[in-house]
Amino acid sequence: MILQHIADGILSGAIVSLGAIGLSFTMKLLRFANFSHSELLTWGAYSALVFLAFFLSFGGFLDGTIGPFSFGPALLLAMLCSCAATSVIAILLHRFVFDRLSRAAGQMTMVFASFGVALILRHLVQLIWGSDPIYYSNELQFAVLLPGNVRVMPDQVFLLVLTMFVVAALHLFMTRSRTGIAMRGVSENPDLARVSGINVDRIITCVWIIGASGAALGGVLYGTTVQLRPELGFGLILPLFAAAILGGAGSLYGAVLGGLIVGLSENLSVMIIPTTYKPAVPFLLIVAILYFRPQGIFGERSR
Amino acid sequence: MLRNIGLAALTAAIFGIGTTAHAVDCPVKLGAILPVSGPMGQVGERIAETGLFAVEQFNEAGGVKGCPVEYVLRDTQGQSAVGVDAAKSLVDLDGVQALIGAVSSGVSLPVLTSVVVPSKVVQVSCCSSSESFTALAEEGKTEGYWFRTYATNRSQSAMGAKLVIDSGFERTAVIYVNTDFGVGLANRFEQDIAKLGGSITSMVAYNESQQSYRAEVTKALEGNPDSLFLVAFPVDGSTITREWLALGGTDNLIVNNSLRSDDYFAAVGSQYLQNLQGYDSAQPRLPSVASFNEMFEARFDSPPNGPGLHSVYDAVTVVLLAMEASEEITGDNIRDNIRLVTSPDGVEVHPGPEGIARAKELLAEGQTIRYVGATGALSFDRNGDVQAPKMTWKLDGDVNVETSYLTTAEVAELLGMLDE
Repeated sequence: MILQHIADGILSGAIVSLGAIGLSFTMKLLRFANFSHSELLTWGAYSALVFLAFFLSFGGFLDGTIGPFSFGPALLLAMLCSCAATSVIAILLHRFVFDRLSRAAGQMTMVFASFGVALILRHLVQLIWGSDPIYYSNELQFAVLLPGNVRVMPDQVFLLVLTMFVVAALHLFMTRSRTGIAMRGVSENPDLARVSGINVDRIITCVWIIGASGAALGGVLYGTTVQLRPELGFGLILPLFAAAILGGAGSLYGAVLGGLIVGLSENLSVMIIPTTYKPAVPFLLIVAILYFRPQGIFGERSR
Repeated sequence: MLRNIGLAALTAAIFGIGTTAHAVDCPVKLGAILPVSGPMGQVGERIAETGLFAVEQFNEAGGVKGCPVEYVLRDTQGQSAVGVDAAKSLVDLDGVQALIGAVSSGVSLPVLTSVVVPSKVVQVSCCSSSESFTALAEEGKTEGYWFRTYATNRSQSAMGAKLVIDSGFERTAVIYVNTDFGVGLANRFEQDIAKLGGSITSMVAYNESQQSYRAEVTKALEGNPDSLFLVAFPVDGSTITREWLALGGTDNLIVNNSLRSDDYFAAVGSQYLQNLQGYDSAQPRLPSVASFNEMFEARFDSPPNGPGLHSVYDAVTVVLLAMEASEEITGDNIRDNIRLVTSPDGVEVHPGPEGIARAKELLAEGQTIRYVGATGALSFDRNGDVQAPKMTWKLDGDVNVETSYLTTAEVAELLGMLDE
């Protein structure tokens, strides 16, 4: 059974990783804890629903499923569109809320504003789509039995592979492309970056797009394996923060590793403690990491 | 509307002068605290609508003592703190003398102890089935203000265990919601199943409103169970069932009555639930029940399937009848007169506007009545509890069909054997 718990942990950790990448980047670059980030997962999942209906209406090859997965080309296209839509939402939020506030207000104001934004975003979802759970597909996907008596759903394997792919692509982007290198520069020292001729606003927009797209992917893939509810993102807020803090703000690999650790510890914890205490595990992780290594695993100690 | 009510109140006030008659302010308010949002929102909303339907029917028959009844609904969100606040505001600000609700025992209980008993108002729950209330009443701590039109947990766990044993299952996993209701039911189930000769492979509690229950499901799969007893509500219940089936769990499912809901069947997919069985409180085979069902269908265009609908209708009607029978509408009078309108040797009256009009006539003549309603003849014992017949059901295609029926006496016999 321990193997099954490990498999569950890695697979559920992958979703947390996808969400935590964006959270970690914005935390480092914009220097505040964005509590509305988890709502971007919800918006990603729900906006994919709209695009999915749109693509399915064409029928033809878009309808139907690919191989062992519960979804077809339509959902993949919807997922891409949802990344774009979620990015637009994030950029709008930045323009109209966070950017304006960051000029005059302190860090705490930003945190509270993000709380407010989170509430608005969540309740807008409830207003538009209602509070009943929704599924992309009502078909139930059965798990495949792997050696070692481990059962995994094909969708989740897809999710894991996609996460690895996204991380690899981001790694190349951050180390090879001018924009990626500039991004690292801005995160180290925005003022210095600005005087060296880097367009900081453009870089920040870029960070929001990466963060929002990661969140949208996570949200859609979570939706395929579980269900869509307005509280989808809200329920993940603690794991997301735990992962971002654990990995160290701004660290790509930190966020990924943090997500996996959170997923694993949640799932393995039920072997020793009653299941009802499981939601407290990410919280304990946050407390532990802040106590022993406040800068996170990959974070650099700040002066 | 407001002006009419104002006028009616004024008229009542003028005519009231010089007569000794009832001090009743129009409209008469009836409070309801129900979870219309949150994890039980789907169930709660239908219950709330049915409660309103009962009030409308009473108003059609002329209301309470000539006054229209106003149904003041407050959302509990299924949370005890919200429920207590709602109840407190209804009692203190709106001045209600009786509360309908709540649904979860975990909400009803703090409302009862911290609002209802201290304020001396009456609480009638449509749906709370925890045995804690019986224990509390035995200790005299409810002071008689507590009633419920829904049978206790005691028979629920017994029915679940009976279904498991009758189906020949030997190793049962239990997944249950971590609330007063779920914990109470699951613990009783563990005792009952042992008494009937079955065994439990694992007892797994889950917290409500989480996105995924993989860890819980994986834990429950340990020990290779041949059946699952699931105590849940539709939203979380469908997540758990989907994950359970997807991870290779058996489709021999036994579920509690809250999952007898079309939302649940649709969310999981009824094609996967063909070995699902469940139990529920049954309506006795009585004309009063059939006539309620007809009226309900005429009003809502769908049959009254789902937990709590019959019992909330009766909860509302009994309270309003007790108000009608009271000289002055106070919590104490309602409490005492609930006994008067459900008296075993009273004249039998039925639900619906005509039945209520008849009941009011009889009460005006000073007779005691016996309300036989949507759940049959209500007879509250000294703890405010009722007994109810039970039924078992399964899915046949998309259709929810009854598989057996146990009369109140048969239920009592089963319980007697288990409690020996």
